[in-house]
Amino acid sequence: MNKLETTQRWLTSIIIRPGRLHDKISAADKTYQLDTEKMIRTSATLSPENRISVYARGYVLRLMECMRADYPVLLHLLGEELFNSFVQAYLVNVPSHSPSLYDLGENFPAFLKASQPQQNEDAEMFDLPVELAQVERTRVEVERSKGLETEQTANSDDSLFHFLGTSNYNVSPCLRLLQLQYELLDFIKAVERGKEAETPERKINYLAISRKNYAVNLQQLEAWQFYYLKALAITGDHNAAVKIAATESGIPEESIMADLLLWIPVAMEYGYVFLDDRF
Amino acid sequence: MTTTNAHRLGLPNLGLGLGLRSKHYDYLLKHDPIVDWFEIISENYMNNFGFARHVLEHIANVKPVVMHGVSMSIGSTDPLNMEYLKQLKELAAFVKPAWISDHLCWTGVAHMNTHDLLPLPLTLESLKHVAERVNRVQDFLERPLILENPSTYMEFEDSTLHEWEFLSELVNQTGCGLLLDVNNVFVSGHNHGFDPEFYIRNIPHKAVVQIHIAGPTDCGPLLIDTHDQPVPTEVWKLYRLAQELTGGVSTLLEWDANIPDYPEMVLEVEKAKKVMLGELPDVAIFQSQHPEVISNPIDHQMQAAHE
Repeated sequence: MNKLETTQRWLTSIIIRPGRLHDKISAADKTYQLDTEKMIRTSATLSPENRISVYARGYVLRLMECMRADYPVLLHLLGEELFNSFVQAYLVNVPSHSPSLYDLGENFPAFLKASQPQQNEDAEMFDLPVELAQVERTRVEVERSKGLETEQTANSDDSLFHFLGTSNYNVSPCLRLLQLQYELLDFIKAVERGKEAETPERKINYLAISRKNYAVNLQQLEAWQFYYLKALAITGDHNAAVKIAATESGIPEESIMADLLLWIPVAMEYGYVFLDDRF
Repeated sequence: MTTTNAHRLGLPNLGLGLGLRSKHYDYLLKHDPIVDWFEIISENYMNNFGFARHVLEHIANVKPVVMHGVSMSIGSTDPLNMEYLKQLKELAAFVKPAWISDHLCWTGVAHMNTHDLLPLPLTLESLKHVAERVNRVQDFLERPLILENPSTYMEFEDSTLHEWEFLSELVNQTGCGLLLDVNNVFVSGHNHGFDPEFYIRNIPHKAVVQIHIAGPTDCGPLLIDTHDQPVPTEVWKLYRLAQELTGGVSTLLEWDANIPDYPEMVLEVEKAKKVMLGELPDVAIFQSQHPEVISNPIDHQMQAAHE
């Protein structure tokens, strides 16, 4: 390891490690066999530790700010103190490896999941922040993913059902489907509007996160709608998707077919499915 | 306002510009941008196909755009991140920028990213290392790289070169361009006790392609590069000197935290015209004793994900 590399590893370890700055500097000096007092120029008013503190303090504050922006509803649910402690633990355990701050919070839902107590009779209540984090992360992904805005798509009309079962009837590339254990939608909307938000109830429900004209929508789905869209995304086959939706939801195929007649225009309006006009 | 000049690596003087920030997206879709050009934070738009990309496309159709990065980490001892450079080049193919810039710094090592602009020991070893990487990046991007002097809060005892000497030699060895941030010169000059005017007089003026102006915060013994205040008189003086020495280059106002409404931003950058006529705004440096002042704010780095 040359001197420049040693210097960079030394400073990075001071900035990224948790703990008191003085202790972090001592540990880094020992690990890399360097002496901070001989590494950093001092001045009449500032010690090397004072100067390093600008970078060490800035690292935590900067990334905390990013996580608060990525997970505003989770922050509301947990409160400042608990949210900050989880984020600080996350930043220590999963430091950023990406050039983009967009990726910083990518593994936070998984980190929260792994942080859940395993042998606790109240363990289920810890699923709530994990699910909320998953929803907020998914929404960020939908905001940035490739969508339909620049594609040539057709409007829903009487010819729609000629397209069903053809390869140009597709699920949008920016549709994400989540099966949730808590009813989060009303909670998220209330928090975002600054209104009183009741703690979500535990009940299996289905959420679609989609984007149309660059606006992200969160909508609750019926079980058959969820399974239909999920199967259509995988198979690309309308008839197969109807069969799977019927099996998973316990609703007869004929009933689903009838409901689809009414619902597909809505699904197109929200940007769940589209007709590719290039064919 | 675009003019050509044998200086600036043959790149144009684009005039007065602003950073493209999400706070102003809706305004810019409905109104005349007024300013001459825009600078984007490259990382905000790489692999981003949402509203931010849509606004960028609109702006790039009506005004010149420059791509300014914060994560190339040209000074890091890690291998160059070729995937990052590939994405940067892909974005450049979409934006067709007037040029691509980043900072003379490193952001992390051992594949970790602090998302800060960390200072290098200014040694011959560092110079050789950075020059080799700049040459490789320029070959890959097929264009000159424009490098900005960062604000710094510490210097290494090992440093044997002043920053202006390091940059001058880097230009000699690589043919790269310079993005002269006069606010950063002012901040670093205060923090390390050098004369910012001397710094500006001793860089290779023909290589300066662009100037940044911004407002710092006085936190007592240190000035911090907060990008959240009007440009103070002292920085405007350095700006005028730099414009006189370079013969006139593209000017960009950086304002990345507590961002004002768009018309206020336009008024701030247009002060540059009066400065060049000798009218210096009387603006003191903002003072704060708040312990949580952040250098290199990230509002601008997060913007694209939070419309």
